[in-house]
Amino acid sequence: MRFLAVVLQQTCRNMLFTWKSQIMTQFTVSLSVLIFSFFYLIYSNALHVGQELGDDLRLVVYLEEEPAPAMKEQYQMKILKFDQVDRIEFISSQQAFKRFEQQLGDNSDVLTGVPANFLPPSIEVYPVRSLDSLSRIKRFSDYLQTLPGVLKVQYGKEWIERFYSFIQLMRVVIILSGSLLIMTTTFMVAHTIRLTLLSRQQELELLRLLGATNNYIRMPFLMEGAFQGLLGSSCGIIALLLLFNWINLQFAGPTTLTLLPFTFFPWQVTLSIIGSATLLCAAGSFSTTRRILQL
Amino acid sequence: MSQETTYPDVMIDMIKVTKVYPPDVQAVSDISLTVNRGEIVFLTGMSGAGKTTLLRLISRIEKPTKGMVEVAGIDVAKLPQRSIHLLRRKIGMAYQDFKLLPDRTVADNIAFSMEVVYRPQSFIEKRTRDLLEQLDLIKKYATRTEELSRGEQQRVSIARAVANFPEIVLADEPTGNLDAETTNRVVNLFNQLNRQGTTILIATHDRSLYQQTSHRVVELRFGRIPAQQPAYPEDSNGDDPASSYSPSLEV
Repeated sequence: MRFLAVVLQQTCRNMLFTWKSQIMTQFTVSLSVLIFSFFYLIYSNALHVGQELGDDLRLVVYLEEEPAPAMKEQYQMKILKFDQVDRIEFISSQQAFKRFEQQLGDNSDVLTGVPANFLPPSIEVYPVRSLDSLSRIKRFSDYLQTLPGVLKVQYGKEWIERFYSFIQLMRVVIILSGSLLIMTTTFMVAHTIRLTLLSRQQELELLRLLGATNNYIRMPFLMEGAFQGLLGSSCGIIALLLLFNWINLQFAGPTTLTLLPFTFFPWQVTLSIIGSATLLCAAGSFSTTRRILQL
Repeated sequence: MSQETTYPDVMIDMIKVTKVYPPDVQAVSDISLTVNRGEIVFLTGMSGAGKTTLLRLISRIEKPTKGMVEVAGIDVAKLPQRSIHLLRRKIGMAYQDFKLLPDRTVADNIAFSMEVVYRPQSFIEKRTRDLLEQLDLIKKYATRTEELSRGEQQRVSIARAVANFPEIVLADEPTGNLDAETTNRVVNLFNQLNRQGTTILIATHDRSLYQQTSHRVVELRFGRIPAQQPAYPEDSNGDDPASSYSPSLEV
């Protein structure tokens, strides 16, 4: 207890003595966390959107003629051989006609006189729902095209490709901003601690002469790093929350944004971001203290 | 910790200790010195005789180039870095250059030595006030040490050295900047500690401190203890050194 009290007292004293560099570090950490979490928020929401849109994702394989039961079995076997699927549905010409009729609703009379088998039979393949499978859809479609008796394979090729590119781009941005976060937090905190250590060399030397343990000397700096991470990342997250609320207010009303689910991080993610930044800063402080004090 | 000595009364035992600073400055050479628990020993000699080096070797600020230094049964040269604090907590050292933190108050500087051993705040405050009263510095309690005279700084350094009731006090020129009255106060403080069993080593030029003393005076000359000097306690035949204690340093 006494150890903790002394360490806390030392930490607060250190931070007060170097308040200018503390503010600079806090600002940098906050900004890095804000940039990273902003892109991560977009990414996680995009994933959510992708999942919702993916629920409707299916490949429609148009066939030349109605397959016999034996042929259906063969199709099923060949499809399953290539990839796992959620389910496969065979749609006959008549079923397709009925669906079309239902879709037309009040205008279904336009089909009067049209033969009930004018639409080709098809197989509807529902791939397993996961965003990673989007990249495989194209290959899957190419494979289905090679099956005997297949006229054409159709899926929402364009949006899938665009959406996939967007997700890929977001991943790169997140990796970059994550690296930025790691570098700035670690380097800035390490730099601030280094300055503090150098300016207090005389005091630290005296502590050693008076019989202070390595932990007694090191812990306040470790705590200082952790505090910087905790405060900086909390400020970053609060700034993001304010930005999120502002965006929601700006786009309130009948806009695209209201059609898409745009939500803030769940508390677990928020805590993880704050925790990671705190740990990173503590690690930066630890390595500097270790190097300079040679403890 | 290292091996226990076979003589429980021996507090400091230096055997054939040599310290050479690079490139080849021989600070002390082949010194053997034994100090018993509860003894007061004066180290005298000209500037550069090796008094400060000897104190630095005892507190493991320096490692001996040759020989062995044992303090309270601990071979200090073999002490690993992570355990040095255990030795330093047994020793209170008043440095010749004071080693005070100029931007901290007198009280803060004295409290420093007690904080590192996690003394309660109430104890720290009381002990600091007591020491400052004894050394006639109580009015300077909240003064920054950079604003003090050298004599006052010296007293703060002494107060810090003794604050933690160390087993050994090493004082390097403790009265160099003090007038007679203040010197008396410092001497009284050392006497008081010695009565409680503290071993005290005083490196000094100040003849008045040891001229009429019954305590052992060891003179260093060019880093050596001349052959006729009492490098061992006179009562090393088994008498308790504390029994030869005199109530003052007889200054």
